[in-house]
Amino acid sequence: MSLDRTLAIATRIFHQIRRDHRSLALIIVAPLLVMALVGFSFTEQQPVLDRISPGMMCVFAFFFTFLLTGVSFLRERAQGTLERLLVTPVGRGDILVGYLLGFFLFAAIQSALILLFTVWALDINYQGNLWQVFAVLMVVTVVGVNLGIFISVFARNEFQVVQFIPIVLAPQIFLSGVVLPVDQLPGYFQVASKVLPLTYAVGALRDMMLHGQAFSDVLGDVGILAAFAVVFLVLAAVTVRRT
Amino acid sequence: MSIDANTNVGNGSDDAVIRLSDVEFSYGQRRVLNGISLFIEKGAIFGFLGANGAGKTTLIRLLAGLGKPQSGTISVLGQSPSPRLSQQIGYMPQLNALYAELSVQENLDFFARMYGLTDRAQRREAEESTLEVVGLLDRRKDPVLRLSGGMRQRLSLACALVHDPKLLLLDEPTVGLDPELRASFWEHFQSLSDSGTTVIISAIPWTMLHTVINWRFCMRDGLLPRIRLMASALPQRCPMLL
Repeated sequence: MSLDRTLAIATRIFHQIRRDHRSLALIIVAPLLVMALVGFSFTEQQPVLDRISPGMMCVFAFFFTFLLTGVSFLRERAQGTLERLLVTPVGRGDILVGYLLGFFLFAAIQSALILLFTVWALDINYQGNLWQVFAVLMVVTVVGVNLGIFISVFARNEFQVVQFIPIVLAPQIFLSGVVLPVDQLPGYFQVASKVLPLTYAVGALRDMMLHGQAFSDVLGDVGILAAFAVVFLVLAAVTVRRT
Repeated sequence: MSIDANTNVGNGSDDAVIRLSDVEFSYGQRRVLNGISLFIEKGAIFGFLGANGAGKTTLIRLLAGLGKPQSGTISVLGQSPSPRLSQQIGYMPQLNALYAELSVQENLDFFARMYGLTDRAQRREAEESTLEVVGLLDRRKDPVLRLSGGMRQRLSLACALVHDPKLLLLDEPTVGLDPELRASFWEHFQSLSDSGTTVIISAIPWTMLHTVINWRFCMRDGLLPRIRLMASALPQRCPMLL
């Protein structure tokens, strides 16, 4: 790996997104709009809103990052720039870490907006430290980036990437504890929830925000979430190759 | 001009930059390359000419290391195609493969950094001279979105040249260019060849009808149904025989 190449890729992605004003607006506005729709639907049901907010934040942080990265990486494959890159001395690690860094700033802004909107605009009741909550959301975005890169190999165009959303997202919404706590799901779904990354993200955020647990208390869940990020990174690396 | 089963460009095989031996490649059931054997010496300009779908791009991609033949061997600069050779190869794909949101300068700078030009001053100098060669120096700040097709071709070529490679793999480099610009490209390829760079080009034959430079290209029939490689050992103007 080369630091200069990695930073060059990250800088390039940053400039690409920065100059795409429409995408930039969507990165900022779309999550807020969706959180507002969900949040203000439960205005009269504050306890429900308090309970589902940690899960919703995880879902949206994951979803928007996954979509953004998946479509962007697909474009690299489709328009030939990835192929051109692979004929240079750049390594797969440079590409993947460069992508992660390039998207990280926008993902961080997005996650911060989601978190702050949920806490202030929706005025949920929560416990715990918001910085620690933000740190967990950052791990969620890393999972989203790596999975987005991996999934992009299975799609030939943006339309197909979008078709993956229900496959990737729907199980996580229903089985990771966002809608119903995992222990209230049927037994077979509880087993399935164990292989979904958002299960651990939602578990960690719920423990921190609803039960006041410290970051050190949820390190197990965060560790498993980070392991998912590594697994998806390895899978993404396998798909980024010359032949 | 001779036609034989094993075609070579150059006087001896010791300085072969490219060596293919019985290379076969298929996409699924469709055989695209059927037992190609040849070697190309340093400094040659070698053209793969053929109609659309003849296998030219496939061959260029194999030389660039973007695929492996099902059988046969490929040697590029004395080794199997691999990332280790990347520094010495300049590849121009058929699609322009540029970042539309970035400017001419930014695209070129990006690929220069990918090719390992880490020193900023050295990189700037290489970029300036390359942009001058392709005639885009005055458009360096323009985003690629605003460039014409021909200008994007020029930038794509620049991205393959910026690091001064020993071997150029150019996939249809003159498609969409006007005759004057095409002639300018060919002159530059000739000057690169004269300075020892080996230039491998794939093209559709009629796009080269108006070239007027001396260039070497070898002819071989029967490699596969549709692709023909044209070459001559002598540096003379070669009529189009296809």
